[in-house]
Formats: sequence, structure tokens, C-alpha cells
Amino acid sequence: MEDTQPVSKVLVLDESPACLRRIKAFCEANKLVALRVQEENIMSVLKSNVDLGGIFISENLSGKASAGVEIGHDIHHIRPELPLFLRRDAGAGRDELSAEEKKSFRAAYTIDTIDDLRKSIDDCIFNMMYPNALLRGINEMTIKSLQSQFKDLDLHVETPYIVRDRLIFGEIFTLIPIESPWCRGYMSLQTEEFSLQNLVIGNKTHIAPDEGDDFRNLNSILGETTNLIWGAFKNRYTNMEGKAAYSSQVPIIINHLHRYISFGSEQPQLCYKCTLTDPNARDSSPMVIYQRFAFNLSWSPEDFRENDVSVDNLVAVGDLELF
Amino acid sequence: MAQVLVVDDSSTVRNEVGDFLKQNGLDVAFAVDGRDGLDQLNADPSIKLILCDVNMPNMDGLTMAEKVRGEQNNQAVNIIMLTTENSPVMKERGKAAGIKGWIVKPFNGPAVIGSVKKLLGM
Repeated sequence: MEDTQPVSKVLVLDESPACLRRIKAFCEANKLVALRVQEENIMSVLKSNVDLGGIFISENLSGKASAGVEIGHDIHHIRPELPLFLRRDAGAGRDELSAEEKKSFRAAYTIDTIDDLRKSIDDCIFNMMYPNALLRGINEMTIKSLQSQFKDLDLHVETPYIVRDRLIFGEIFTLIPIESPWCRGYMSLQTEEFSLQNLVIGNKTHIAPDEGDDFRNLNSILGETTNLIWGAFKNRYTNMEGKAAYSSQVPIIINHLHRYISFGSEQPQLCYKCTLTDPNARDSSPMVIYQRFAFNLSWSPEDFRENDVSVDNLVAVGDLELF
Repeated sequence: MAQVLVVDDSSTVRNEVGDFLKQNGLDVAFAVDGRDGLDQLNADPSIKLILCDVNMPNMDGLTMAEKVRGEQNNQAVNIIMLTTENSPVMKERGKAAGIKGWIVKPFNGPAVIGSVKKLLGM
């Protein structure tokens, strides 16, 4: 079976060319997409990258012995959900970090012991196994749903990736429960209003171009896209026969001031980035939809299965089944 | 006066389905949920066919269908569900309520327009 396992984006704050090469090689070998960042830009880059899996930081920056540690404390303060990995010049162990440093850094390493980070990466980023069939299925149903709602556009869906960030960054945000015997959680879609409005005005949706100035219509497009993906997921993966009536729930907390959402779980989220581009207007900015799955209530991939569909009863999507 | 009532809480779906049916020469009315659908049906006796979503706020589509056949005792109007749902249990409930057919979204107008017109006696 083709490996479609997710990757994860990490920021790398390090100034040593030799170490950067080693870190890049380590990332490539461990499904991490390394994004290099300069010390003076780290906070602004953090604000614009809200779908990260973690951050690699060098202890020494700009010739200052513990500048990286101080930056790590600052980052941990504002984004405690992001695991930080500290590169030290000597002493590879987290045990050698002070108690205060241990609060901020998930692990410490030297460049010669970077391969030992693998366990920490697996523990905090890739700690949920996603069946390849599920990842492909989500990709397929997302593409079909988007194609039904957006006309004559090029659609690109990136390799799925894992995020530990919990920030809400889109202006339009949908949320719907996902329920099956083997998983329970939520799916969200997020996008920017302006780019969606441009597609309406360009007659690329089912909303009349002159109705694109009503944000409720824009909400409706993302809402219906969410509904279609949710329905396809349910029909493909959900068979609730025999399931007990009781299902646990936890509050979902949204802090609008900090654009932050919590599903009550420390588990990372599975994310798909979908980009829609008008092939006849290459200069216009594309519309990006971020699709996230937070399986916060239950996750048993060992029980994953697709619903059996009797060929005799198979009716194509969109066809009328007369009774 | 409309021939077809489209009941869906999504304005996107109402626009998509409504535009397609109008382009095919049909008069269309709209409702935003099952309760609104019942009101529209009561107000317009010319409606011969309802295209109805299942999952809607206030009143879902299957409950609306059951009320059309039960409380309103309207046996004349045909009801087709247009929904993301595809479970046999729901379809059985729909059949019991006397619905005429089931379409799994997304809507594919050209695939269903022939049957829709036939149900309208055209």
C-alpha cells in the first residue's frame, strides 16, 4: 500500500551551517518539513505559521551563550503546545537541563546525538497512527466536495500534515462532529473571506456574483462544503450499529482574543491544506482552505474499517434512487 | 405559484438546485428548514414536488415528510430527499413516510432532471 503518512512542519532557529545541514537531513528522514527562520524574525514568523508541529532551537545564537534558551522560554510562554527541541554544544540529555528549562524544552540534543530525537518526535508529533486508507479517503472526499462547490478551478491538496498549534486563523471557520465506532472528534474548515468572496464575484461558486457581498452567503459555501465532507465521511466510515447510546463529550473552548481553540486534548491534529486557483486568473490570490481533524474523544485506528457497500444496492452519488 | 419546493438550510444548495430547475423551465419556491417547508406547502397548493434535505435546524427533512403525509394528509405531493445521508435505516424511515426517492449529495442536475419532470407529469 502506498505510504501516505503525514508530515509535520517545524521551524529551525540555528545559525551553524554544518548543523543546519544535519538538522535538514534528520528532518527529511523523519517526515519533518524544516522551515529555517532568523532570530530577529522568529516571533513574526510564529504569528504567520500557525500550523506547526514543533521548533528546533540552538542554545547559542548571535554569539550569546544562552540566547536560544531565553527565546525558547518566550516561545513556550506564548505557544506552550509547540514542542521545542534544544541543540546544545555539549551535554545531549534533557536531564542536564535545569528545572526551568525542562518546562520549556521537550528534549535537548547535540548535533552528534540528533538521531536520538526520533523518540521524542514520535512521542509528541507522530504519536497517532493514521491508516493510509483513511488518509487517502479523506483526500478523495475532500476533493469531490470542493469540486462540487467550486467551478472551473484548479485544486491542489498537499500531503496531510500534523499540527500541534491550536490557533484559529481563518476568518470563516466551520466545526462539525465526526463520529464512528473507531474515532470521535471534530472536523474544521478555515479560510479567508476575501479570497472566497473573489471566487463568488468571479462566478466560481453556486452563489450569484452580485450576492457575494453578503457574508452569510460566503458562510454558506464553507458550511455546505463541510456538510458534504462530513456526509461522505459518515457514509464511508461510520457504522454505528450496536454502539452504546452514551457518548462522552468535553467542552470545546474558543478564546477569540487569542484566536485559540482547545478540544480538551493534548493530541496533535491532522491537517489538509487545499488550494483553489483560477487557471484563467493566475495573478489573483488563490483561496486556501485548511481542513483539520481533532480526534479528541476517541481514536482506535486498529478498528478502522470502511463500510461494506453491496454492489446490488450501489447508487451513484448524485443519482436519483426511486422507491 | 411553484411546481417544486426546495427545502435546504444552505443558501448555496438552494441557489444551485433552484437555478438548475429554473433553467429547465420549472417554477421553484424555497424553504430554509422543515418547519418553513410545511408553511410554504400549506400556502401554495400548486407545489407538486419537494426536494428536501435531511439534516436541518428546527425540523429535519424526514420529520417534515412524515408530517406532510400524516398530520397534513397530503398524498398528492411527491417528496425526494436530497442529502449527504446514505444510511439504509434513514432510507427505510423515508420509505415508511412515503417519500418517492433519495439523492445523495452533491446535486447532479442532469442526472435527475428526467425523473423530476416525470414525477411532475411533464
